[in-house]
Amino acid sequence: MSEVTLTIDGQSVTVPAGTTIWEAAAAAGIDIPVLCHDPRLEPVGVCRVCAVDIGERTLPAACVRRVEPGMVVHTDTAEITAHRRVLTELLLADQSATSRRETTTGDDALYALARKLEVGTIPWPDGSENTPRGHDTSSPVIAVDHQACILCDRCVRACDDIQHNDVITRTGKGHATRIAFDLDQPMGQSSCVSCGECVAVCPTGALTHRALPERPAHLEEVAS
Amino acid sequence: MRLLAELAAIQSRDGAVSDAALRELAEQRRVPLYQLEGLRSFYPSFRAQPGASHRISICRDGPCRLAGKARGEALAAALAGHSDIDVEFVSCLGQCDCAPAAAIDEHHHGPLPSHDTLAAWIAGAGDLPEPATGMTAPLPTDPYAGPDEHYATSRHWLCEPADAVINTLEAAGLQGLGGAAFPTARKWRFTREAPGGPRTVICNADESEPGTFKDRLILEQAPHLIIEGMLMGAAVIEADTGIIYLRHEYERARVALAAALARARERGVLGPDARGPGQGFDIELFISPGGYILGEETALLEALEDRRGEPRHKPPFPVTHGLHGGPTLINNVETLAAVATILARGADWWQAQGCGDYAGLKYVSVSGDVARPQVLCLPWGTSVAEAIAHCGGMADGRELLAFSPGGASTPFLPASAAATPMAFDALREAGSGLGTGALFIVGSGRDLADVVIAQARFFRNESCGKCVPCRVGSTKGVEMASAAGRGEAATAVADELRTLHQTLQRTSICGLGQVALLPIVDALERFPDEPSLQALQGAGHE
Repeated sequence: MSEVTLTIDGQSVTVPAGTTIWEAAAAAGIDIPVLCHDPRLEPVGVCRVCAVDIGERTLPAACVRRVEPGMVVHTDTAEITAHRRVLTELLLADQSATSRRETTTGDDALYALARKLEVGTIPWPDGSENTPRGHDTSSPVIAVDHQACILCDRCVRACDDIQHNDVITRTGKGHATRIAFDLDQPMGQSSCVSCGECVAVCPTGALTHRALPERPAHLEEVAS
Repeated sequence: MRLLAELAAIQSRDGAVSDAALRELAEQRRVPLYQLEGLRSFYPSFRAQPGASHRISICRDGPCRLAGKARGEALAAALAGHSDIDVEFVSCLGQCDCAPAAAIDEHHHGPLPSHDTLAAWIAGAGDLPEPATGMTAPLPTDPYAGPDEHYATSRHWLCEPADAVINTLEAAGLQGLGGAAFPTARKWRFTREAPGGPRTVICNADESEPGTFKDRLILEQAPHLIIEGMLMGAAVIEADTGIIYLRHEYERARVALAAALARARERGVLGPDARGPGQGFDIELFISPGGYILGEETALLEALEDRRGEPRHKPPFPVTHGLHGGPTLINNVETLAAVATILARGADWWQAQGCGDYAGLKYVSVSGDVARPQVLCLPWGTSVAEAIAHCGGMADGRELLAFSPGGASTPFLPASAAATPMAFDALREAGSGLGTGALFIVGSGRDLADVVIAQARFFRNESCGKCVPCRVGSTKGVEMASAAGRGEAATAVADELRTLHQTLQRTSICGLGQVALLPIVDALERFPDEPSLQALQGAGHE
């Protein structure tokens, strides 16, 4: 396989052709933040927090864009950080006051990114109050919090591409889009087999195990 | 593209795409339910439940909002108690020459009726939409005196080498007329040189940006030029398949295209020997299930591949990786028609048509506060002021306040810029763009803040929802601007809107998100003293 040499944050990096910028950066020890990407899944580049600067009119998604010979990539400029902060704030503006992933397993990727980017007061209108999306507690195993969903598409790909259970989709359009099961049935009445893959890949509190106990309150960390 | 056509057939048959119908389809076609739900919920022409026996759809955008927002709302209020009539407000219907435009049962489109004419209008629900206002066949760019002469140009050019076709388009200086202005000759050359298959020519007939209706006129009056342009594209890129992707509201255009395609097949222009002995080419007419975003070329491809119409990341571009992964030539209606004109009359003739150094003829949709909104065919480089004069001047004794020259994504310019030529470079230098060639005129006494917020709201409404900046950012931006416009914002919003716009512009996957807040942010810069915008500028503004 042919190799490609490019520059990432001043480092010369050589990787096989067909590698994505995110993979090439990871190989060089450079961590580009992601929310929608998981190395086990085909990248979709929808959260846009992995935006990098390669001198084009727009900032491509590092998880999707393939390396090219001589490419000069900046992953961490002041402009990129500012955009990542705005994107994180936008997602947080639609979140409930607490994340069930944060209060149970404590590994909500959105909250972790908010802490890393030192997100403070959120200037955008509160979507959890203005346009609530609701919960689905019909499954005895999995709790669905549509308000915590950031539409990263990880559960859709995990259900349909990894497990081939073919249950989850996105329904609707625009800001009203949310995940749905079969023909938008409650999860407990759908063909879901409760395999748990969607919970395993979900980066937020949207899909969590119902059986998990809440963590003690003193361990809770909440952005802002 | 079979599933979407089947969903459309179910919708047409049952007045809805019910769960039961989808379960049956899933069994028949061996596709998962989730996929059908994703499609049904994404495309606005599909409904999960049948509505009342009649549905009135009133346009809420651009010129229609300007001309009759109050009338539309009054009609909706008056009909609120009628269980047999649903009233809904929808995105641009492409009937801006009839503003305020409305549709009955998604068929008959035209001017919103008054209370007095409502019954007659509902009775005519099955009629074809009003023809586009402007001119009738033969169009000024139609090289043919009558139907018997149609396709004489391609008969000649199919015997010439592909390079000669491309060189002629290059000499004419033709650029993509759907708004992107990409040099047509280069696109054709790239697609020709791209290896592999399947190879497809697509006509993008999905114009849907508020104020844009010029392709509707060309589709209705000169479908043979579009077919001929596609045939030449097929010859150049060696494609055997063509698709016209038509917005579903354009029923008159659909009838005209279907008749023209049938005639072309009868004459052998399309069919097994269309490009030469044994080299076939035929064109399928595909009716879009709706949504402005489908005019984005990769969203259009997703729809044709039976997925939700969400734009792809680029690169790769359709010229190398398009429909089903093969090289795909996608051109706008006006571009393809211009190909036929240029090949018939020559690059020199085309060059001679423009004003001064500009080349060619341009179809422009003029809407808003002019006396006679219509499609004009103008020499390239005609000024905005001249275009207004061609439409009978300003309406209702208003003075020119501002104009958007190329659709909702092109910023408004002040009256002082009215001498600017209608051309890509001149309007870009003036701070806006020719875009889709949709000149939207706003007169004195109008609320410019309401107009620009409505432009952004259109993009918010039409966001596919795929990427975060557009899905969430356009929603938050419109919410903040609307609140400020109503005087409900606690603090100034101009700085926040600028910050948000920068993120949308740089990180949205497609052009929709990149421009969604531009109409507002640009107007705040360009019209610092406009009274209606002061509520958004904030108290600190001087």
